[in-house]
Amino acid sequence: MTTFAQPSVTGATSGPVQPRPKSKGRLFVKWITSTDHKTIGYLYLITSFVWFLVAGILALVLRAELARPGLQFLSTEQYNQIFTMHGTIMLLMFATPLFVGFANVIMPLQIGAADVAFPRLNMLSYWLYLFGGLMAFGGFLSPGGAASFGWTAYAPLANSQYSPGIGGDLWVIGLAISGLGTILGGVNFVTTIFTMRAPGMTMFRMSIFSWNVLLTSILVLLAFPPLAAAFLGLESDRLFGSHIFDSANGGAMLWQHLFWFFGHPEVYILALPFFGIASEILPVFSRKPIFGYKGLIAATIGIAALSVSVWAHHMYASGQVLLPFFSFMTFLIGVPTGVKFFNWIGTMWGGSLTFETPMLFVLGFLVTFLFGGITGIILASPPLDFAVSASYFVVAHFHYVLFGTVVFAMFAGFYFWWPKMTGRMLNERLGKIHFWTLFFGFHLTFLVQHWLGIKGMPRRYADYLATDGFTTLNTISTIGSFLLGLSMIPYVVNVWISRNSPKVTVDDPWGYGASLEWATSCPPPRHNFTSIPRIRSERPAFDLHYPHMAHTDGGH
Amino acid sequence: MKAGYKLFYFLAVFYAVVDLVYWRIGGDPLGITAIGLSGGLALTIGFYFWQNDKRMGLQPSDNDDGEIADAAGELGFFSPHSWWPLPLALSACAMGLGLIIGWWLTVIALGSLVISIIGFTTEYEKPGVSAHY
Repeated sequence: MTTFAQPSVTGATSGPVQPRPKSKGRLFVKWITSTDHKTIGYLYLITSFVWFLVAGILALVLRAELARPGLQFLSTEQYNQIFTMHGTIMLLMFATPLFVGFANVIMPLQIGAADVAFPRLNMLSYWLYLFGGLMAFGGFLSPGGAASFGWTAYAPLANSQYSPGIGGDLWVIGLAISGLGTILGGVNFVTTIFTMRAPGMTMFRMSIFSWNVLLTSILVLLAFPPLAAAFLGLESDRLFGSHIFDSANGGAMLWQHLFWFFGHPEVYILALPFFGIASEILPVFSRKPIFGYKGLIAATIGIAALSVSVWAHHMYASGQVLLPFFSFMTFLIGVPTGVKFFNWIGTMWGGSLTFETPMLFVLGFLVTFLFGGITGIILASPPLDFAVSASYFVVAHFHYVLFGTVVFAMFAGFYFWWPKMTGRMLNERLGKIHFWTLFFGFHLTFLVQHWLGIKGMPRRYADYLATDGFTTLNTISTIGSFLLGLSMIPYVVNVWISRNSPKVTVDDPWGYGASLEWATSCPPPRHNFTSIPRIRSERPAFDLHYPHMAHTDGGH
Repeated sequence: MKAGYKLFYFLAVFYAVVDLVYWRIGGDPLGITAIGLSGGLALTIGFYFWQNDKRMGLQPSDNDDGEIADAAGELGFFSPHSWWPLPLALSACAMGLGLIIGWWLTVIALGSLVISIIGFTTEYEKPGVSAHY
C-alpha cells in the first residue's frame, strides 16, 4: 500500500479519522490484535501509567511506615518486599516501557513513517512486557511473598539460601521475559529510524526526540543482554544449585559488575528519551528553533558512548574497583549533560515564552533534574561518596534524577501530545493545579532526605529510633509524599473530563509545532499521513504552516 | 546511509579506546570483556550498514533534496492485525513458569511455543511467493 500523495501546501486538517468499530467486544479484539504502532504505544503508555500508580501506592505505604519511629503496621520482611517491588516496578515496569510507549506513538510520526519496521514484533514486545511484569508482581500472591532482596538483587542475598520462596524466582523470570520484550523494542526502533524515514528526512533533519530514541535503543541493545545473562545465571543458581554467583569464587563481585553494566546505561535509557521530550516542547513554547541542534545531538551521542564506562561508580564502596578511572569518567559524562542544559536555556533565551502546562512541566523537569545532577557530581567523587553511600542522600539523589526526568517529562509529554493522541485537549486549569501540587509534593518529600542522609539515616531500613533525631525530617517527607500522591487526582480528573472536551480540528493546536507529527490530523489516520509536506529542515511542520518564515538548511 | 555507519563506527572506535585504557590501567576482567563486546556489537552493525550503503546507493531518505513522491509506490507489506504475538508471548511466559512450577508445564509450553513460532513466521507466507517480514 502506498501512503504518499503529493506534497500538501495547505495547513488544513489532513485526512479523515478511521471509522471506529461499533461494539465493545470488537474494540477489544481490535486492540489485542493490533499491529498499529499508535495503538501499541497507547497500550504501553496506559500499562506503564497503571504500574506507576501501583508503585506509587507502594511508596506511600513505605513513607507512612517511616513517618514515626517504631514499626506501626509493616513487618520488616513486608517492608523489604515493598521497597523491592517499588524500585523494580518504577524502573523496569514503568519508566523503561514508558520510553517504548512514547517512542512508539511519536517517533514514526516524526520521521514520516507509516508504521514501525516490524509491527507484529512490536505487539510481541508489549505482551512480553505485560506478562513478564505481572509475573514479577505476582510474587505478592505466593506463599512467601514477593522478592525482597532489593531491585539490585545483590549476590549472595538473592540466592535460594538467603531468599527462598518462589517470589524471587517469579521476579527473576518475569523480568528476564520483560527484558526480552525491551530488547525486541530496541531492535524495532533502530531499524525503523534507519530504514523508514520519509524522503528528504535525512538523519540531521530528524527531531531531537527521534535522535534520542535512536541512541536510547542502541543503549538497550548494549545493556539488556548482560542483564538477561545475569538473570539466567541467578535463576540457574537458585533452581539448579550452580555456583555462578557464589561468593567463594568471586560471584558477589561478578553480579555487581554485570548488574551495573546494565544498571548505568539503564539510567540513560530512562533519561535520554525524556530529554528528547523536553527538547521538543521548549522550542514550541519559546517560539524559537531549538538552540544548537547539532550540539544537542553530539551531546546525546557523547552520553550514549560514555555511559558504558561509568558503571562501577555504583560500586565505590566495594573497595574493589578502579576509583580514579570511574570517577574521571563520571565527571566526564556530566559535560554533555551540561551542554544540554546550556542548549535548553539558549532555546528559551530571548524567546516569546508562554507557560502552558507542558512548558511548566518541562521547567519543573529542568529545576528538579539540575538538583539531581549537582548531587550526582558530589557522589561521583569517591571521598564524598564514602561519607553518604547507601544513605538517604543517595535516595534523594536518584529520585531527583529519575523523577525529575521521567515523571516531569512524562506529564509534559502527556499534556503536549494529548491532542495528537486523542484528538482532545486537556484542561489547562487542572493541569496547573496538577503541576504545582506535584512540584511542591515532590520537593517536600525528597529535599529533606538529603539532610536525613547527611545525618546518617541508611536507606532500606524499616525503622529508626526516636533518639536518632530523624523523626522531624521523616514526618515532613511523609507529608510531602502524600501531597505528591494527591496530585494524581487532578490529573486523573483531567483525563476523565477531557473525553467531553471539544474536538481538535487543526493539525497543530499549539500553533508553533515544529516536527512532522504536527503536519497530520489529531489523531492521525491508520498509516499516519494522507500527505507529507516537503522536508527541508528539522522543522518541516513549522515550514509548512509558516512558509514565509521557512528556513531551509541548505543541505545540512 | 553515511550517518548510520559513521555513528556505529564511532561507537566501535570509542569503545575500543576506552577498553584499551581500562585494560592497561588494570580494570576488572568482566568490564574489559563487556566493553570489548559492546565495541564488537557496534562494529558489526556499522559494517553491515557500510556494506548496505555501498550496495544500495543514495536513498530518498538521505537525499537533501528528496521529494515525498520519490518514495511513491509499494512501500512494503504491513500486517493489518495479527493474533500470533499473543500466543507466542504466552508460550514464552509458560516456558519461564515451567522452570518454577514443573517440567510438565515446560513440555506443554514448548509445544505451544513451536506452534506459535510456526504460526507467527508463516502467517503471510503463500506457497510459491517469497518475500517480506
